[in-house]
Amino acid sequence: MKTYMLACVALLLACCYVLPIFADHHEAGEMQMLQFPESYKGMAVSNGGTISGTVTFEGDVPEMKILEITKDETVCAATEKHDESLVVGEGNALKNTIVYLVDISQGKVLDKAVKPEIDQKGCKFTPHVQIVPVGVRLTMLNNDKVNHNVHIFSSVNKPVNKQQTKNRKKLRLAGVKKAEGPVQVKCDIHGWMSAWLAYVPHPYFAVTDEMGKFTLEDVPPGTYQLGYWHEACGTNSESPATVTVEAGGTVTQDFTLSMKKM
Amino acid sequence: MTRRYKKITFLTGQSRPGGRAAWAMLLGCCALLASMLSVARAQKAPEASEEGKRVYEKSCAHCHGIEGRGDGSAAENLLPRPRDFTRGLYKIRSTEAGQLPTDQDLFDILTEGMPGSSMPGWETALSANERWEVVAYIKTFHEGFKENEAPRQIDLSGKIAYSEQSVETGKALYTELGCVECHGNVGRGDGTSAPTLTDEWGFRTWPANLAQGWNFRGGGDTEDIFKRFIGGIAGSPMPAFEGDSFLHFGLASEESKRLTELESKDEMTEAEEEESGKFYEKMDAAVDIALSITEGETLNTEDRQTFDNAMRVVYEKSWHLANYVKSLSPEKRPEPAIGNNVLRAQYVGGELPALGDAAWETLKASYFPVVGQIIVEPRQFNPTLDSINVKSFYNDNEVAFLFTWDDRTHTTALEDEETGKKVLEDALAIQFPVKVPQGPTAPKPYFLWGGRLPVYLWHWKASAPEQVTELTAKGINKAEVQAVQSNIQAKGTYTDGQYNLWVKRALKTDDKKDLQIEPGVFVPIAFSAWDGANGDVDTNRVISSWYTFVLEPVPSSRRFIYPPLVALLSVGALFGLRMFVRRRNS
Amino acid sequence: MKRLSLFTTCLIIFVGCWVFLRFIVGSVISVPIPGSVVAMYMGLILIAILVHISVEDSRFREFLRPLRETLVDDNRRVRRRVVAVLVPLVLLAYTYSIFAQRANPPGNPRDAHPSPPLELTYKDEVIGKMQEVENPFRHYEKDEPEAFKAHVENGRRVYYQNCFYCHGDDLDGQGHFASPLQPLPANFQDPGIIPNFQESFLFWRISKGGPGLPAAGTPWDSAMPIWENMLTKDEIWDVILFLSDYTGYQPRTFGEGH
Repeated sequence: MKTYMLACVALLLACCYVLPIFADHHEAGEMQMLQFPESYKGMAVSNGGTISGTVTFEGDVPEMKILEITKDETVCAATEKHDESLVVGEGNALKNTIVYLVDISQGKVLDKAVKPEIDQKGCKFTPHVQIVPVGVRLTMLNNDKVNHNVHIFSSVNKPVNKQQTKNRKKLRLAGVKKAEGPVQVKCDIHGWMSAWLAYVPHPYFAVTDEMGKFTLEDVPPGTYQLGYWHEACGTNSESPATVTVEAGGTVTQDFTLSMKKM
Repeated sequence: MTRRYKKITFLTGQSRPGGRAAWAMLLGCCALLASMLSVARAQKAPEASEEGKRVYEKSCAHCHGIEGRGDGSAAENLLPRPRDFTRGLYKIRSTEAGQLPTDQDLFDILTEGMPGSSMPGWETALSANERWEVVAYIKTFHEGFKENEAPRQIDLSGKIAYSEQSVETGKALYTELGCVECHGNVGRGDGTSAPTLTDEWGFRTWPANLAQGWNFRGGGDTEDIFKRFIGGIAGSPMPAFEGDSFLHFGLASEESKRLTELESKDEMTEAEEEESGKFYEKMDAAVDIALSITEGETLNTEDRQTFDNAMRVVYEKSWHLANYVKSLSPEKRPEPAIGNNVLRAQYVGGELPALGDAAWETLKASYFPVVGQIIVEPRQFNPTLDSINVKSFYNDNEVAFLFTWDDRTHTTALEDEETGKKVLEDALAIQFPVKVPQGPTAPKPYFLWGGRLPVYLWHWKASAPEQVTELTAKGINKAEVQAVQSNIQAKGTYTDGQYNLWVKRALKTDDKKDLQIEPGVFVPIAFSAWDGANGDVDTNRVISSWYTFVLEPVPSSRRFIYPPLVALLSVGALFGLRMFVRRRNS
Repeated sequence: MKRLSLFTTCLIIFVGCWVFLRFIVGSVISVPIPGSVVAMYMGLILIAILVHISVEDSRFREFLRPLRETLVDDNRRVRRRVVAVLVPLVLLAYTYSIFAQRANPPGNPRDAHPSPPLELTYKDEVIGKMQEVENPFRHYEKDEPEAFKAHVENGRRVYYQNCFYCHGDDLDGQGHFASPLQPLPANFQDPGIIPNFQESFLFWRISKGGPGLPAAGTPWDSAMPIWENMLTKDEIWDVILFLSDYTGYQPRTFGEGH
């Protein structure tokens, strides 16, 4: 009898010890990460299909918050700066949503000749969301004539924290090894500046434009999961949309997003 | 890897008078033995030994968490937050940017702690062996340590000795590289970006006050400062000095100087454009090499040479900058004004010096350290103010004080984010008893704004810099503005991260609720201060214990009368004695 | 070799003792002996010397002989002149130093172990007599080790959320808030603290804090908060369990004599 009791207590203790691990995993899920395939093989794709669509926002559109400019006002406050975490256009079109194929394992070759840039014009990052292929160098531009500090809050790759003084028009950053995203980009000197990056391992990533539109081209025929991420609206990583692409065909998949629950 | 033998020693860090040579020898031998052991252990793999786990869970987990995530039960109230070991980001390292620390780095931090934070040194609490076990244990929290690659260490061999000229060079770099943005014009951590900084985990962080070297987390030696530049302070907004264009990477010293000169011009001529263009190209090529190193490529000999040459210039600049930063702090933390080292107001014959008068420079300030108020709720667990420095003069009728303290922000009216109500602002309160206790055993008022016995306060606020309000308090929440306000002159200024507050009052007032000041009487004095930007308001503040201040009496002129008199008398006494003895003999 | 005169011997003994007490003992135990203690010992030595020389008339005369010689003998003229110059000079310097000395603040005498009240209370609730109340969770140590461990763990949490700022991570009184405080926070690793007090005493010190001290404990200086305003009764008992568990020191029990 006593042995049973002891075993029960031990089991209980073990459970207490193990449970927090699950809790943590749950938290990790809440961090709203992009999902990447375990491996990806690049090849020539002929007669691929196209996935396109529109992302719209549903719900009361909150007024864009005007950012408080606390320094370098002559440069930074020349124009009004808005919090760009939610940019809703005409017809509730939702800008800056990353739409991507979750489970593609082979497709067209990842183009490493692209030269992604983020400009820091007027103490604001443009674009607000940028896709950077793995291994490709990102260029930061500074024509502001004020000091900036590029701080990329990576956790899978090493964080980047580099000074870009007022006379350094271009700052090139080393290509990263691992896919990761979304990653926030901030300027420590101007605390209101914020942008997002995705280091991607395959070319099937798109960011919606002002019209909320996205297009993924040259997708090899097949059935895929289509995921999205938006800074303010979250992800559909728990239930991605399923799309079937036919050779040479075009499928449309629209998304309607609402503010993610805090 | 070079090891820092001198750091593992039992002799430093304790300044007891009269250490015996024999003891020193014995301890020296122990230290040597310990350092030899440390070499043997240096290559230790991340290892979850029973002993390491036991010590970690007993001594570290309450802050750093059982799983090393920096989320122990104490973490919530601490800023800087206890480190999250899972990310492998270590602030204080002897290794290059982006590298993990060496075992010795981790051991040194365990041994010496991190000044200015809640991390204590464990030299006396844990044996060297226990500390080494903990080093191995915390390495298990981060995957990167398993690769077991020796991290690249920063080469300190090219040290540039401290000199006026080096400090000057460093000072120019300080502005050029943008250090001012966070650390401020003269380094008091008051840069315009200071109020908005966060660390890698999103927690609030303040730039170091470079005038308070005793609070530098990794030590205030020039080498320590240099290592923070080259290695960066991982996880913080402080960038590392690597192969980056803002350091003119790839240019020789002279070329770098020339480019700075060119870029400082409002407009360049065509020839100058061309000249600078060449520099840019050269920098681009060198940065390319640095980038490919980061990307993991192996360099050919020529590129390696270019890189090494470029890095040498970065190292040179960093030494100059380190010398400049070193020049900003006193050699060590000032001694607190306790014991006989009390605040003594000096007598002057005529008018008391005004704010900014050169006479103030002739006095040495008394140093009053302050701590967060954690006695009455709401409590301030994370103070941003270090100390109040005070000088004082008096004449026959009045006394003048000069209070000086460093505050990274000048806050006169900030809305409280949480309540949205109370207006936060910087302030200082100087506290005296209403009646000076007579004799050492006589009761004083409770040091926290009085209790049964009341205290008399001078309350100054940054929003009204030329006004001091007299308060009477019988408790931290029981302060009342005095109905009769004496004529107190005050003038407060804020420059480059530092407040200077000048206050003048008559020695005697008619108000019974005021302190009456007399030369030669030792008066208890204490301080409360608020940093509005740190959320300080009401009980949320920094405080000091009771200290002592006195109007130093003018030395008595009797010192020229009595001693000669005594000497004369003694001569007389000797003669008298001689006469007496002689008479008896005869 | 000529034998030293009694006067010289006494002088050497006296000065030797002073040097020994003032410099040598202090540096061996690495804490200087307080001046008042040295003065007391020197007084005793002086009395001993006076007793020694005054026991016999002849010895007293022998002791005074060099003094008398210095004062009157013709062949001691040089010595006499040296004394006549030196003695007034030394007195001059000494008197001047007294007058020129700047005043120093009064000391801060403080009873570190003040006597507790007769009754132990939590806020206004009377728990019992100071000499009888025991830690209600102490018995778990023998009866239910698991429950005891839970109480110690809770005490650890309470300690590191409230106390360690001053009393330190290692309970050594060297927390990061400690150094500017006067008096310094208690060091629980000091064998003179926990083993000397009953748990009811510790409860009293924690619950009432600095302001609850009697006057001899200078309640106006202590930064110890009134913890009953912030912690529950059980939390205080738990933190006491943690203090003894961490340091390995057992608080005094009522069985032992005081």
